[in-house]
This record gives sequence, C-alpha cells and structure tokens, in this order.
Amino acid sequence: MTEALSQPQEKDDIRIGVYVCHCGLNIAGSVDCKQVADFAATLPHVVLAKDNRYTCSDQGQELIKKDIKEEKLNRVVVASCSPRLHEPTFRRACEEAGLNKYLFEMANIREHCSWVHLYEKDAATEKAKDLVRMAVAKVALLEPETESVVSITPKALVIGGGVAGIQAALDLADTGYWVYLVEKEPSIGGRMAQIDKTFPTMDCSICILAPKMSDVGKHPHIELLTNSEVLDVKGYIGNFKVKVLKKPRYVTKDCSACGECSKVCPVIAPNEFDVGLATRHAVYTPFAQAVPSTYIIDRNLCLNKENIIVCDKCIKACERKTIDFNMKTETLELDVGTIIVATGADVYDPTAFVNYGYTRYPNVITSLEFERLINAGGPSGGHLIRPSDVQIPDSVAFIQCVGSRSESGNLYCSNVCCMNTIKDALLIKEHWPDTKIYAYYVDIRAFGKGFEDLYKRARKEGVLFIRGLPTEIVENKKTHDLWLVGENTLQQEIYKTKVGMVILSVGIEPRQDSEIIQRLFTLSRTPDGFFMEAHPKLRPVDAPTGGVFLAGCAESPKDIKDSVTQASAAAARAGILMAKGKVTVEAITSKLISDNCTGCQMCAKVCPFNAINVVPERKKVELIEAACSGCGTCGAECPFDAITMRHFTDAQILAQIDAATELDADKKIVAFCCNWCAYAGADFAGVNRMQYPTNVRIIRTMCSGRVAPKFVERAFARGAAAVLVAGCHFGDCHYINANHQTQKRAERLWKKMERLGLNRERLQLAWISAAEGEKLASTAKNMQAVVSSVTAEEIEKSKKMTERG
Amino acid sequence: MVPVRTWRRPLDADKVKPPQAEIHIIRDRCKGCGFCIEFCPKDVLEESNEINERGVRPPKVVDESRCALCGFCSAVCPDFAIFTKEKNAKKKENQ
Repeated sequence: MTEALSQPQEKDDIRIGVYVCHCGLNIAGSVDCKQVADFAATLPHVVLAKDNRYTCSDQGQELIKKDIKEEKLNRVVVASCSPRLHEPTFRRACEEAGLNKYLFEMANIREHCSWVHLYEKDAATEKAKDLVRMAVAKVALLEPETESVVSITPKALVIGGGVAGIQAALDLADTGYWVYLVEKEPSIGGRMAQIDKTFPTMDCSICILAPKMSDVGKHPHIELLTNSEVLDVKGYIGNFKVKVLKKPRYVTKDCSACGECSKVCPVIAPNEFDVGLATRHAVYTPFAQAVPSTYIIDRNLCLNKENIIVCDKCIKACERKTIDFNMKTETLELDVGTIIVATGADVYDPTAFVNYGYTRYPNVITSLEFERLINAGGPSGGHLIRPSDVQIPDSVAFIQCVGSRSESGNLYCSNVCCMNTIKDALLIKEHWPDTKIYAYYVDIRAFGKGFEDLYKRARKEGVLFIRGLPTEIVENKKTHDLWLVGENTLQQEIYKTKVGMVILSVGIEPRQDSEIIQRLFTLSRTPDGFFMEAHPKLRPVDAPTGGVFLAGCAESPKDIKDSVTQASAAAARAGILMAKGKVTVEAITSKLISDNCTGCQMCAKVCPFNAINVVPERKKVELIEAACSGCGTCGAECPFDAITMRHFTDAQILAQIDAATELDADKKIVAFCCNWCAYAGADFAGVNRMQYPTNVRIIRTMCSGRVAPKFVERAFARGAAAVLVAGCHFGDCHYINANHQTQKRAERLWKKMERLGLNRERLQLAWISAAEGEKLASTAKNMQAVVSSVTAEEIEKSKKMTERG
Repeated sequence: MVPVRTWRRPLDADKVKPPQAEIHIIRDRCKGCGFCIEFCPKDVLEESNEINERGVRPPKVVDESRCALCGFCSAVCPDFAIFTKEKNAKKKENQ
C-alpha cells in the first residue's frame, strides 16, 4: 500500500491535496484564503483544496493524514509559513500517513506574502494564488527519495574556555563523550574569571568558577588545548576534520607553579588579565587560579628571540628544569562529530566617547577595570582607589549605556550592564558605606530573577539613580576630580555634580575575530555582529550549519546564568546527535544521467567539495554522494543536462518559473533565492513586516550556484520583466565558494543580454544575508523602476534569450 | 593575547621596578668584534666614534636604564672587555 502510494509513475495518477492555512489572522488578515483554496482546486491534478485556521496544529496534520489515506493523495502542498519553519512538521505528517516526505511542497504565503503586503489584500491574494500555482507545478514533478545515513563521531570540539565553554565541555564529558576544549589564552576562565562578584546573589565569581575550571583540567574525558586556535574546519555534520594550532608554552607540564622564574625575569609588562592595572613578567601565569597552572613564556616580550638564549635567569631559577625554549608549534588534526562555538565577547572601548575623557582623565575607569580594582586578589588588593592619587574616593558616578543603545556605539542593549552597575554600587556601599554613589542611566533594565530585589536594595542603601546621561565630563586638572554635566530628564533640571571617580558601564561587543570563526564554520551573523541561531525561538542554540551549536556571548550579550543555561542546552543538543550515532542526510544531492555525460569535467571544476571524480577511460564523471552537499552548481554548469539535483531538478524549477510567469509576466520579478541567506533574508523581511512590492515571485534553490543560465533565460522567454538572483555574500556561502560561479554566470548572461540589445538592468544579482531583510525589500523596491520601464517590444525581444547561444 | 588596551601605568609599577644596571666597558681591551652590540636583546649598545689603543671603535652605552642585566654581553665578549653590575647592590655595599 505504502509502495503504491509513494511511487505513482503515470501523470494521470497524480493526486494533489492543497491546504491553505489562515495562521489565525497572520495570513488571513491580508490574503483571502478561501479564494486561494478555491483557485487551487482548479489547478491540474489537484483533487482537493481546503483552507483551515492552523494547518500546523494536530487537527490540521490529522486532516492531511486522513486525506492522504481516504482520498488517496500522493502529493501534498501546504500554503502557509516558510519551509524553513514548518517543512519538517508537515513532512513528518506525510510520512506518518505513508507518503514519502519528498512528495510534499510548501508555498510560503506568510513570510513572503501576507506579512510583507499587509495593506494590499487583493494583490496579496493574487500573489498567494501564484505561489500556490508554483508549488503545485513543482509538486507534480517531485519524486520519492530515500535518504542516506551518515555516522557521527562521538567526539565534540568546544571552542572557547569561558564559563559557557567550560559548562558545555563538562556536560558532554560527564555524559561520556570525548571533548576537545580549545582556548586561545594561556588559561581557561574567560571573562567570568576577571569579575569580582556575580549578580544578583553577590557570589564571589572566581570562587564558584575555579572548581569548574579544575574539573575541566583533570577530567578524564576532556583534552584541554590552551594557547591554541582553530585553523581550519572541513567535513560535515558528524564528521568534521578540524586543524588546531597549538602554540608552545615553553614550560613543560612538570611546572609546579612555584613562581621562582617569574621573580627573576627582567622583563616587566602590563598584565592583560588585570586590564593593565598590574604588571606581569615575560614568564608568568595570568592569575592565581589559572588552569592549567603551568607557567607560560610570552616570546613577544622575552629577551630570547629565535634560537639564541641570551637570558637564562628563568632556566637557572627553575628547580624542576621545566623551561624548554625548544618547544615547537604543533598542528593537531582532530576528528569530531559535533562542535560548540563559545568564543565569547569583547568589551567596548569607550575612547570613542571623547566627551567622557577615557584615557585622558585618569579617574575615569571602565566597569571591567572596576572589577579588577574591587577584587581582593586584584592589583589594589580590593581597595577601590583612584588611579590618579591612589586614594579611596568619597563619591563615585556610574554612567550607563556607554557603547550600547546609541548611534555612536552599538545600537543594541548589552543586557548585563544595568545589573552589573547595581551590583558594583552595592559592593562599594558594603566596603565604604559613606561613599556617595550616583548612577546615571537611560532605562534601568532589571528583568531577571532576583534583579528587581537587588535594584530596590541599592536604592534603599542610598544609591542615587538619575535618569539622563551626562553630556560631558570635565576634569579639575589639579585634584583630578570630575564634574559631570547633563540633564535630569525626569525632573527637567540641569545637573552639575562633582565626583572623585567615574565608572563607565561599557557594553559588550562581538569578538574582533568573529569573522574568522564565521568563515571557518560558515555561520551567519546578525547586523549586530553576533552569531545567528538556526531559529530564534525554536532552535536557539543550533547554528545554521548542521552539527554546530552556539553558547554564551558569542550568540548575544548575556549574563553568566544565561551563558551556563545555553551551554548546557548546546551540550544536550550535541549529545542528542552523538547518542543517536547517525544522522540522515537530506536527499538533495546530485544525480548523474550517465547517457548524457561526455566527460567534459566542467562540473568537477566548479564543485566546491571535490565530490566529482573523473573516470577518463569511460569518458564519464562519477559523483561521490557522501561528499556532495547539494549546492547544485555542477548541475547549473553541465552543458549537456547530465547532472540533475534531487528535489531541485531542472524540470521542477522550470515548472515553477512557468507557473510564476503564467499571468502578467511583464509586470513580474522572478527571484531565485538561496536557501541559507537570501531566502532566509526574505523570511526575515516578513518577520519584521518590511513592506515591498507584490510583484516578486521567489523560487528557492539550495544555493545561488544552482541557478543555471537557462532558468534566467526561461524566465525572460516567458516574458518576465526582471529577474533577481540572490545569494550569500562572498565568504558566507554555505557551499564554500559556489556563489562565485553565480557571479560568473550572471556576467555571461549580462554580456548575452547586451548582445541582444536588452537592458542588462533587467537581470540583477544581489548578495543578501539572512539578516538583511531590509536589503531584500529595498532591492525589490529599486527594481520597480526597471519593471515599469520595460516595453512590450523589449519583452518580445527577450524571448530570443533561449534561442541563440 | 587578550585584546585589551593597556594604556595606564600599572599600579604596582614602582614596586616591581627592574634592577638598574651599571655597564662597564674596558675600552682598550676591545678588539671591535661587535658581538656585544649585535646580541644585546635590548639594543643598549652601539659603536662609538672614538678609537682605542687597539685601533678599533669600542661600544658605547646608548641607554643604561634599558639594560635588563642578562649578562650576555660579558658572556660573548672574547676579550673580557665588558661586564654589568646591579646599581643598588653597590649602594647597599656602601651603606
């Protein structure tokens, strides 16, 4: 029965069911769903078309299952939200009813229609009909597919040894998996190790972190690689090959951390861990609780350059003979199944706020410097002192949102600074109750568990919260006291306050080297620069790349509790994959039509994954399915139609183009969007209700590299006014560099268009990331000028596109 | 290393001052091989303009405060013409 249902061969046997979803009012608010369903019923092979409130609900799914069985449906179309959201849901429903899940197709009438055309009900309804027509045209040509199974290496790589990385590594290792923890600094601990106390419980930060750090250091399942960086990542979910550069410490593991070497070292430099408030030597340990506790020699500072040992003081001082200047940099090759990215964040540099005088006025410090000053193990032994005269100030001011929520810094809220200031103010009150404390804020955001209580406590203790940031800080040159000038916006008065010290509550920024990590793992970043999750609500710790997960501040600014929560979640998600031991790979890989292949090797040249072998004696190529990721750039390159992509065949895409251009083609834009960036960008535009013209018809391909010149030519031949090909930015391509081929093909097409006397503006190429919904909307808007300028004559002329080569 | 700007004078800068050096050059022993100048990790020495008894230019001190007292100059000098001493050590002796 299942067999018969899932493999209908004859065209006449095709029985399509169409379900148009209202999504409450999300779709029905701007699209007449009943009308769309009635229209769908008139399309070829459609045996039934229904509209309902929530197709994704249990009842909605049950209805589909019932119809598959009772009405003998062998193809299903759901017109609702983005396939990136609910395709898996409906595919599962189909499978449960015995229908191969590759015989299902979605029409995205929410993100790509109702949400972006909120006020144009008629045009939106027409567009929805077109989208359904396109989906029905494609679904009729779909074939049942079987997925191949890939095994998963039960080892994980955690990048970043801050509290998130530590937690993720411990959770995975405790579950029984082997974990490599890579940290670029000499010690794990990250930002949390620098902080004095944590909010809202006022626990000593290093006291609660140090035990976890030492657990990592001695865990039998964790290999800790400090002073190391990830160089290269190859492979795919379950089977990553990672190259790690392990830089030498020049001190062997036998080091007892006695510190005698440091005492005799003649080189002195600021200690980065103390934000430059204390010194260290060239041979040093960043802080007392460092893991590993082994000392390290900073060869940038050490007198011994290259191979000449000029200064041997540390060597002589070390009783255990652990200093070895012959240690070499190693490159390790790791095989891992899953990867957790927990690379953390940087701290905003407030020098850009010239009016606050950071680096000009010694008594203006950052909140991170404050943490080191108030810390008993810090450079001042826990005394909050003014850097100018080493005296304890009688009054201090906190300035909030420095580098956050402002045009001159970053636009986003850094999440932790309000609570951090409240905690810091209470710490000062605890040690020096008479200190006068002012906190200048924009809004106080005390939203978490126990946060409001802490805020109340601070106010009760006499911390003055004043709304309105100072416009300027002026320093008394003699005393180094600081005058703050600004407006109290609640009382509408100008204030002019003198304090002994100012603490700038600085924001959190993406790591400077985020771009490298982004390239290595083909991640996406939000406009803020933090890594983007696969889905903001339902897959918040999954990266878009399979087998990669995110934790901590790398994903967005967050406090310790949230970082730990997210790290445990990421570990659990990675653990699920590794516990299963295998994963099915989507059946969207390339397929060879051997008879057509001439062995010209053009496909092999463009394949980013080396998944195509040439068999010279047979004058044919050979496709390696396990290495194929399904971008389809080979299929687009093949001049003999010898390669087709499963589930994205030429016939299916051409059918979608034909359906999109059936009515009023001369007013339409046919857009080819890659699944990862441009299509997701269009979804993003929908989610954010960015309105754009209704004449865009988006066709999804896995990569813009799939877009064969013949698709563009077909669209023009069918009379389309304009064509948009949109993919990921260079360097962001999910198929390494397949989008470079897109560029080359577009250039060839432009040349051809010019030769034929066509306006080349009618074909546009755009690089749109998953976060650039605005760019998609504006591209669509900008193309309207081209659309309206195209004459009937030109449309007629462009029908020649397909004729000549 | 940690990407932080370290612009402040560290609070303990005075306490951890490295020992100050006193560099002694016995000019007429020098044969001008230049090893001390070449190998000094802090570039404390350079060739002087005067000519010594042996007819070569001995080294001269550019900035004594830079010297880290590693003692490599005296170790490589083939003619025992240069040595370093700690300044405070001498003072302590006097007291």
